[in-house]
Amino acid sequence: MAGLRERVFETVLPNGLKVILLEDHKAPLVTFQVWYRVGSRNEAWGKTGLSHMLEHMMFKGTKKIGPEAFSKIIQENGGNDNAFTSNDYTAYYENLSADRVRVAIDLEADRMQNLSLREEDFRTERMVVMEERRLRTEDNPQSVLIEQIMATAFQTQPYHWPVIGWMEDIARFTLEDLKAHYKTYYNPINAFLVVVGDFNKEELLSKIVEAFGSQAKGVAPDQKRDTDPPQIGERRISVKKEAQLPFLLLGYHVPNLREQDSYALEVIATILSGGKSSRLYLSLVREKRLVLTADADQSLVSRDPSLFTLSAELLPGKEVAEVEKAFDQEIERLQRERVGEKELEKAVNQLEASFIFGQDSIFNQAILLARYEIALSWKTLDDYLPFIRKVTPEDIQRVAKKYLIPENRTVGILIPLPSKEGKPLPPGGDTKGDAVR
Amino acid sequence: MTLAFLLFCLCLQPKVVSAMPPVQRTVLPNQLILLFSQESSLPFVTIQLLIDSGSRRDPSGEEGLSYLTARGLLLGTSRRTVTAIHEELDFMGASLSSSSNRDYATLSLQVLKKDLEKGWDLFMDVLTQPTFPEEEIKREVEKTLAAIQSAEDQPDQVAEKEFQRTLFPHNPYGHPVDGTKESLPRMTREAMVRFYRTYYHPNNAILTVVGDISADEVKTKLLPSLAKWPKAAIPEISFKPSFAEEEKTLKIDRGITQANIIIGQIGVSRDNPDYYALTVMNYILGGGGFTSRLVEEIRNKRGLAYSVASFFDPGKYPGSFQIVLQTKNSSAREAITLSLQEMERIQKELVSEKELEGAKKYLIGSFPMRLNTQGKLVSFLTQVEYYGLGLDYPEKYPSLIRSVTREEVLRVAKKYLHPRNHILVIVANLKESGME
Repeated sequence: MAGLRERVFETVLPNGLKVILLEDHKAPLVTFQVWYRVGSRNEAWGKTGLSHMLEHMMFKGTKKIGPEAFSKIIQENGGNDNAFTSNDYTAYYENLSADRVRVAIDLEADRMQNLSLREEDFRTERMVVMEERRLRTEDNPQSVLIEQIMATAFQTQPYHWPVIGWMEDIARFTLEDLKAHYKTYYNPINAFLVVVGDFNKEELLSKIVEAFGSQAKGVAPDQKRDTDPPQIGERRISVKKEAQLPFLLLGYHVPNLREQDSYALEVIATILSGGKSSRLYLSLVREKRLVLTADADQSLVSRDPSLFTLSAELLPGKEVAEVEKAFDQEIERLQRERVGEKELEKAVNQLEASFIFGQDSIFNQAILLARYEIALSWKTLDDYLPFIRKVTPEDIQRVAKKYLIPENRTVGILIPLPSKEGKPLPPGGDTKGDAVR
Repeated sequence: MTLAFLLFCLCLQPKVVSAMPPVQRTVLPNQLILLFSQESSLPFVTIQLLIDSGSRRDPSGEEGLSYLTARGLLLGTSRRTVTAIHEELDFMGASLSSSSNRDYATLSLQVLKKDLEKGWDLFMDVLTQPTFPEEEIKREVEKTLAAIQSAEDQPDQVAEKEFQRTLFPHNPYGHPVDGTKESLPRMTREAMVRFYRTYYHPNNAILTVVGDISADEVKTKLLPSLAKWPKAAIPEISFKPSFAEEEKTLKIDRGITQANIIIGQIGVSRDNPDYYALTVMNYILGGGGFTSRLVEEIRNKRGLAYSVASFFDPGKYPGSFQIVLQTKNSSAREAITLSLQEMERIQKELVSEKELEGAKKYLIGSFPMRLNTQGKLVSFLTQVEYYGLGLDYPEKYPSLIRSVTREEVLRVAKKYLHPRNHILVIVANLKESGME
């Protein structure tokens, strides 16, 4: 199949709005997405979670339509809509029949500029966001640990705070905060559209130009943020909370796709935890019988450098120290031994296959294009497999020695407390988590 | 006139018709039902086998047997150890998984076209030659027990388990598919082999093949090994669809910030003729995403919950109806009262013409999105066959939904909802919830 550079059409409207279009005629459907370059990284201390709060408010109506009318209109057109916020972006989408795309275009164009931010709606919706935080974080011990790891690993970089924000900050927001955030970041110059599906690009583009073309460009916001200086020693934290099983998470500072080393880390994550023939599965799950699950992961497409993580949920009665030792042994093995040709080929095959499987959904294709665009450029997506194939056993060894070292990591342990019912216990996430509307 | 009529039809229906790629249905000599649909835009194939051997067939005292037998397929064969299976799969970057639910078990493969033959060989090997090695079974049981323990940290799952157990006290739908802390340690290899020999036969199965594969390739690459799979008699088990009829409240105390609430009762089976009227009714009540009455009252107007929804969960036999929500402990009573009020309102008043139309437009218009990936299409086709909906289901669906009237919505709400006779499960900090 031809590369995306040949198949994707990109243009930038005079007002700075970038439009990324990919025709896919498999089914008479379209995914229409608006991505704003604003997330928790663009927030200030004391007002964390403001981007996510604004995402919720984007459904509360404009001068043209009332509160909650947005989703009603989309659903009456047989479509689904929603939105999600991360550290780096806020994204809105409509999945619907190809002949209804105009509905999505007009509604999204309207709320890019004409949002009504009303005090009453805000007060109620803030309660909803607080419920969301209770649901996702407060009552989920592993989420609390992840939040604490991020707050420890990142000291100056805005990845320090959670996307949904600290509860105290959510309580502190004002309508004026939201208005200012909206004015600064919701402009054509700070947004782009991604549309994938069954359309003709010339026809679609003219509809887009009609709806978005006349909007004022806005001022490009300053997107530079501090990143943390190199870590100078291991950091350790623990979370004590009512829970069943201990959970261990190690986070190492690593670069994102702007640096070639990130592709070697991608291969390392696959060697460690891609499938049930992977090293962590064979060692921690099968041989040593220490854990229920073990995982290695990283965020290749974060806008600022993020973490490479090793995590494990322990089997009842097993010691965290044993699991940590087993993780260390696997890291040392990567640093000491050259990965065999066949094992490397297997990892590459896995990454290639999941890349192809992932293209089956137009929604996923659009999200992938957009996330690369946020991190660097959607065009980089074409480099993904070639760069993965270029990774050598020497790269893996070198990169493991460079980043996967104790001085560069934060270790977090969830220590389960017995449930307050007093029932005796029997013997014995994800750092990029998006907050969804 | 004719032309105008034709155009009218085309305007209403073309999306739904074209959303469904052509499907071939064949019954093999061993009575295996084979569904096949070619879709060659991407170079891979998705295959799903359904065996009519869900957890409702677990013998009493052996809860989890259906699940462990399905999982056991991948634990080793006469030709391959479990490690060899994993190694082979990962080298292809393929996925092969097995599981079961209350009605049936599935074995699913996703593989690149270039590896189809190797993948298929593995698929047939685990399906027809599993050995259920003793040592691997012990590990699988240990893992399942730990997963059950881990799920205790998810209050929504704790509530769901308690609800099913209470609604179906003497009914095979009542126990968890993956078994219980009591039943799993007793599980033996012999029981799994017996369960496998009883149910894993072609005349008890449906195979669906979707993706970059031609009819000719199905014939030459898949059929020869399928034809060798021998059929056998399947024993009929009796199923008593019994359920709790009295009102009950179950309270579970946890040190958490939200009350996790289920309000529910008995629902319907998939073949209930009222299924479509119920689908429309439930969309308006609590199934309709951001536009349902429950979302409007509990989330939009009062900010009491992030998520609140209702659903029917129909199976081969009647499943449940549930309203599920989470709210801060102190709002638990208010949210419960509001939910019950909405159940009562939809039983007393006709829904508005606008609500009815909105529901129909969504249900009909969004149908094609249920089929737009290989994974979605494969499970859709398999279920259409299993529940006997007919391969013309996508064409029939719009008229089934369109024919529902306001009066019918009222009738099914009265008939199937029981706001004064429900089961309430609440997992919360009971003191803060005022529910002690």
